[in-house]
Amino acid sequence: MSKKNDYDPSEIQKRMGMKAKNRISNTVIYVVLVIMSIVWLIPFFCIVFQSFRVESTWMAGYVFPQKWGFDNYINLAKTDFWKWYTNTFIIAVVVAALQTVIVLCMSYTLSRFRFKIRKGLMKFMLVLGLFPGMLTMIILYRVLKDLGMTQANAVPGLILVYIASSGMGYYVSKGFFDTVPKTLDEAARIDGATRAQVLWKIILPMAKPIVIYTILTAFMGPWGDFVFARYISMNTSAGMNVAVGLQSWLSLDQINNRYTMFCAGGVVVAIPVTILFLCLQKYYVEGVTGGAVKG
Amino acid sequence: MATVKLTNVVKIYDNNVTAVHDFNLDIADKEFVVFVGPSGCGKSTTLRMIAGLEEISGGTVEIDGEVVNDLQPKDRHIAMVFQNYALYPHMTVYDNMAFPLRIKKMPEDEIYERVTHAAEILGITDYLMRKPRALSGGQRQRVAIGRAMVRDSKVFLMDEPLSNLDAKLRNQMRAEIILLRQRLDTTFIYVTHDQTEAMTLGDRIVIMKDGYIMQVGSPEEVFDRPGNLFVAEFIGAPKMNTIKAKLVRGDGEYHVAACGAVLKVGGEKGQMLRDRNVPTQDIILGVRPEHMVLAAEDDANAIDCTLEVNEMMGSEYHLHVNTADGNKLIVRIPTITLSPAQRESLVPGARLNVTCEGKVMHFFDTESEVNILYPCQAPIK
Repeated sequence: MSKKNDYDPSEIQKRMGMKAKNRISNTVIYVVLVIMSIVWLIPFFCIVFQSFRVESTWMAGYVFPQKWGFDNYINLAKTDFWKWYTNTFIIAVVVAALQTVIVLCMSYTLSRFRFKIRKGLMKFMLVLGLFPGMLTMIILYRVLKDLGMTQANAVPGLILVYIASSGMGYYVSKGFFDTVPKTLDEAARIDGATRAQVLWKIILPMAKPIVIYTILTAFMGPWGDFVFARYISMNTSAGMNVAVGLQSWLSLDQINNRYTMFCAGGVVVAIPVTILFLCLQKYYVEGVTGGAVKG
Repeated sequence: MATVKLTNVVKIYDNNVTAVHDFNLDIADKEFVVFVGPSGCGKSTTLRMIAGLEEISGGTVEIDGEVVNDLQPKDRHIAMVFQNYALYPHMTVYDNMAFPLRIKKMPEDEIYERVTHAAEILGITDYLMRKPRALSGGQRQRVAIGRAMVRDSKVFLMDEPLSNLDAKLRNQMRAEIILLRQRLDTTFIYVTHDQTEAMTLGDRIVIMKDGYIMQVGSPEEVFDRPGNLFVAEFIGAPKMNTIKAKLVRGDGEYHVAACGAVLKVGGEKGQMLRDRNVPTQDIILGVRPEHMVLAAEDDANAIDCTLEVNEMMGSEYHLHVNTADGNKLIVRIPTITLSPAQRESLVPGARLNVTCEGKVMHFFDTESEVNILYPCQAPIK
């Protein structure tokens, strides 16, 4: 039957029609995608070009510099920029490490253990998660101020704020753990492993994408945070993170001297994140979709 | 190598469902015990309680004389093979088998020795460096058995290890488990829903239903002397024919009136009925398909039937017949006993006379369904 169809002229025509149709829709999709990526990339390239402009420091009305140079990058060292950068880096690394551990332990517990308040706890955290975090800003500031963790000491304060609620981000990794058959845990426990060994030796190696995903999201949160960081550092340069610090250069009295340096700072901020994503991109996609299968 | 003793073991789940009622069993050292029953009968739950994967709601489980109720699985010195193999997918076959030994911090050269030795026995040496996903079902199950073998465990637990394999492989692996058992010479507890596996593997079979033990006995015992109707129908394939009948005590002889025929109960069974002075009563008559025979057309003591379906199995015929009063029976006739003319006559609609001897009959009480001659001790709902 199928052989006959291969030589059937109407069948061939039909197939060619399908091919043409596919080609058209593919072309449309690619054109749209190309336009979208150009739109997205324009601001980024503008910033990169501006950061190499040395003939003036204010906001110029053109994109391509007339004179190129690294002055803006070199001048960053004469400001508090590297202090802010270090602050942010410390916060992000500590938060990424602690938050990952907390989230993974939380997810494993909720996925594997059955205890009385398990369901209630999950519902409670779901509802709690629906409130915007900003609601807690004022009270958090009071608490941190009493603990002496604001302004110049904002770094430990921010770390505390970021990791305090990290257990609530268990959804994706719990969804992933749920897809790992329970008999693997049971087999390992019979083989002599403790619960902790089951998690470290059996579950986590299988859950690599989700671990990477957790680390990435935990790192990205504090790395790009602005609102909390600004509120808690309260105009004290020593306690600022890089986003707050750079933003202070855009105030009316500074923008004319600092605009190109602001762009250079922005590029430097983007570097570690870009590297992280390039290296771990494969796992990131796997992690997001892997957990979603049975979320 | 150890004894296992279960005393009044009860399992009640959180939703108040009782999965296992008052389970009592003594398993001797180096014994091969099979738990068998339909799904939901509590056989896996019982095994998992022995393994420590389920909490024990009541009673005690002892391994080698030690009560293990509150011990973690890792402290019970048991090995277990799961239905779905439960191999660690990110590890090679070698690492899978080495895992329990590495947890115990055994030196690597001893691990190497043990793993390669086990792999040799199971014929998986060529696959040691592969990941589980690159193996077939049978090979995976061998790895799972190998992982359980490398340890010196006191008890070997197997939870439906062959259920995921296809029929041919299952027969092959069944034979290998018998060989493995001879080699390991340790205590085995094996869970299955397949009565063939139970019959061929077990020293003793524990037949369970709805959380109760129906009967415990050797394969011969449960086959020849089923304690109740459930065991009688569960063991043996195709399942035993059961007919509502009447046991009649004549002078010195017993007869069974069934399907319009009167069958004489002679021999040993007749003697037993006489010895126990069993009165005339309604019963359920059980006769295994292979114990029924074709009778001559003029045999007055035979059941008159119509052939409905004729299954030619090769070495034997399975004849599905209907009696005049609406009972459906299966008769198993070895092909070799039939003449070519007889075989040709076995067409749907053909009239047949079937009968059976007294010694193959089983008599069950209509109310309690207990075997009248070999009553079992198990509680029946």
